[in-house]
Amino acid sequence: MKKILVLSLIVAIGLTFLIGCSSKEEGSIKIGVLLPLTGSQAKFGEMEKNSFDIAQAEINQAGGIKGRQLEFVYEDDTGKPDVGRMGMEKLIAQDKVPMITGGYSSSVTFAAAQVAQKYRVPFMVCTGSVDKITEPEAYDLNKNDGDKFYVYRINPPVSEYASGLEGFINSVVKPKSVMIFHEGTTFGTKGAEAFAKTCSKLGIDVLGTESYTEGTVDFKPMLLGVKEKNPDVVYMIAYVMDAALLMKQSKDLQLSPQIFIGAGAGFTMPAFRENAGVASRKVVSSTLWHQSLPLAGAQEYFDKYVEKFGAENTPDYHGAEAYAAAYVVKDVLNRATDYTPESLKNALDKSDLMTVFGPVKFTSYGKKIHQNKMDTYVVQWINDELKLIWPQSLADADYAFPINYAKEWAE
Amino acid sequence: METFLQTLASGILIGGLYAIIGIGMTLIMGVLNIINLAHGQILMISMYITWVLWHYFGIDPYMSIFITIPTVFLIAEGISKYFLHPLIDKDSILPENQVLMTVGIGMVIMELARTIFTSDFKSISPTTTLRGEKIDIPGYLQNSIHIANISISIPLLIAFSISIFLTLGLFLFLTKTDKGRSVRATAQDKGAAALMGISTAKITILTYGIGSALDAAAGSLLLPIYYLYPDVGPIFTVKAFVITILGGLGSTVGAIFGGLILGLAETFGATYISMGYKDAVGLIIFLLVLVFFPGGLKRFTKV
Repeated sequence: MKKILVLSLIVAIGLTFLIGCSSKEEGSIKIGVLLPLTGSQAKFGEMEKNSFDIAQAEINQAGGIKGRQLEFVYEDDTGKPDVGRMGMEKLIAQDKVPMITGGYSSSVTFAAAQVAQKYRVPFMVCTGSVDKITEPEAYDLNKNDGDKFYVYRINPPVSEYASGLEGFINSVVKPKSVMIFHEGTTFGTKGAEAFAKTCSKLGIDVLGTESYTEGTVDFKPMLLGVKEKNPDVVYMIAYVMDAALLMKQSKDLQLSPQIFIGAGAGFTMPAFRENAGVASRKVVSSTLWHQSLPLAGAQEYFDKYVEKFGAENTPDYHGAEAYAAAYVVKDVLNRATDYTPESLKNALDKSDLMTVFGPVKFTSYGKKIHQNKMDTYVVQWINDELKLIWPQSLADADYAFPINYAKEWAE
Repeated sequence: METFLQTLASGILIGGLYAIIGIGMTLIMGVLNIINLAHGQILMISMYITWVLWHYFGIDPYMSIFITIPTVFLIAEGISKYFLHPLIDKDSILPENQVLMTVGIGMVIMELARTIFTSDFKSISPTTTLRGEKIDIPGYLQNSIHIANISISIPLLIAFSISIFLTLGLFLFLTKTDKGRSVRATAQDKGAAALMGISTAKITILTYGIGSALDAAAGSLLLPIYYLYPDVGPIFTVKAFVITILGGLGSTVGAIFGGLILGLAETFGATYISMGYKDAVGLIIFLLVLVFFPGGLKRFTKV
């Protein structure tokens, strides 16, 4: 009996402590951010964290949220789903954040989103791109739980990454055949599937789909196979250093299709150009963002980032996603009546604002809900700079096509 | 045919590099009786040293072998003497715990690298800024030679040649010198070696250093081919582990064949099955060897 008494006393004290913590009205408003800050994807996580930091400083300088400071609490997911889940639980249970943003890799983001849904805390994804993240069907929900879906996404899903590319391929490249090469992660596999679907829609022959795993030093046997098939387009989904290795070894083998197209991710990063060298020339990639787009603040954000982190660290769409996410957070917090997950969810539902990344408004279509619809674009490495080439109405450079890769590489 | 030859060439070259990583681990396995799970991280240390020497001092990666080998040797001697040996010395500490110690050492090394160098990818990029001057790197660090239609990357070829050279050196050391014979004696029977007047403690520490030094050479050779970040280690720890088992625990000659087999299995798997199953093919061979030749390839060799 005594034991039970003592136990209940401890529980009671614990509870008051917990309540005491969560109900404090003073101090900064904490919002969780889940990113890969270590591990093989840390380069992307770092760019996003830098962007969150810039936005946080700006927002707080401008007076914060109704007089209170905004504070992003970072949790490192190391690029692993299990660590991501743990990080998410820590943010919710220990840091008691009413809302979480971030989410880089597809597999980690999906795992983390399930935790958010379980604890009913809004999770606004800014990069994780596999389609199922915003498809309530993919979650283990009760029948009526579907209306109470807590996952939101700013960036387009991976199946729409190549939508901007479609126009470019259809009206400029007009290929007959394509070879798809992707890394064996969720992002790579789903992206390859989506692109194959796009190709069959456009009447392009898919000669083959090859995947590879992390730690591949020599891609040559596989690239030689590609060379034998002689496709018009080589489409690649790869993270930054593998993207550089792929292009360098394609150059070694003189594998020259009509065009090399990358699917965002690594191909738009400055480190890609640095490491691939001449092999990066005239490579085309789909992208979600470019600083020259007519979006208020886009160029300013780009300049600010470069000024702070050096000219060799130019931000690409990943950074813009994070920066935009920070401003959506600000907007949501400003409109919310209080800072509980429930009222932030209500505010998120009504989001309709313009960011440096484009308009943000969460809509439902197909199987997806809370998904922001967005255009994607095409960029090309011209004179060692990433130029926006498609759609032509927005382009800041003329596209280079047809391309004589042998000549580009010879210099 | 062309594809076959290209695959064969790629497989043998990469296998040679794997072999030297594997030999280091197998040597440590033979004498210390533990799987050194910090092996990849030691490789990473060497890669970082090579990168720093290249990036800040313009020292050729192949020349830096003369620096990485002694430096890593000393670091490894330290690790072995102050962290591993005290555990091996006590009979009451199970070998499992010694292996755990290497995991811990590996983690510390990895996080130290992250603190010092951040998570950025480093590599020998085609153009590099050296003392404010933009220079193109020498051709042998990035080009390929073409024989018929087969492309052989020069840095990989150099890596292969130096690996062979170092392996031969190791053999001479193991078979012709007193220290080398002591190492082999300790590996074969620690108790008997001690009775013959060999200081097994010293030999254990020395072996960890030699194994790591080979690993260090591999790191310098790998940098022009691959890229570098703090988490690069585990990828190669796994490869070294597979090679060690393939070759038969503790067998140097076995490890050479283990490395070549792994390299060939991976590239042939990539060409004729699927690139995505590259690792799976390597591991299936690993399982087959365990099932049919539990002792590894060692049973075909005497050394």
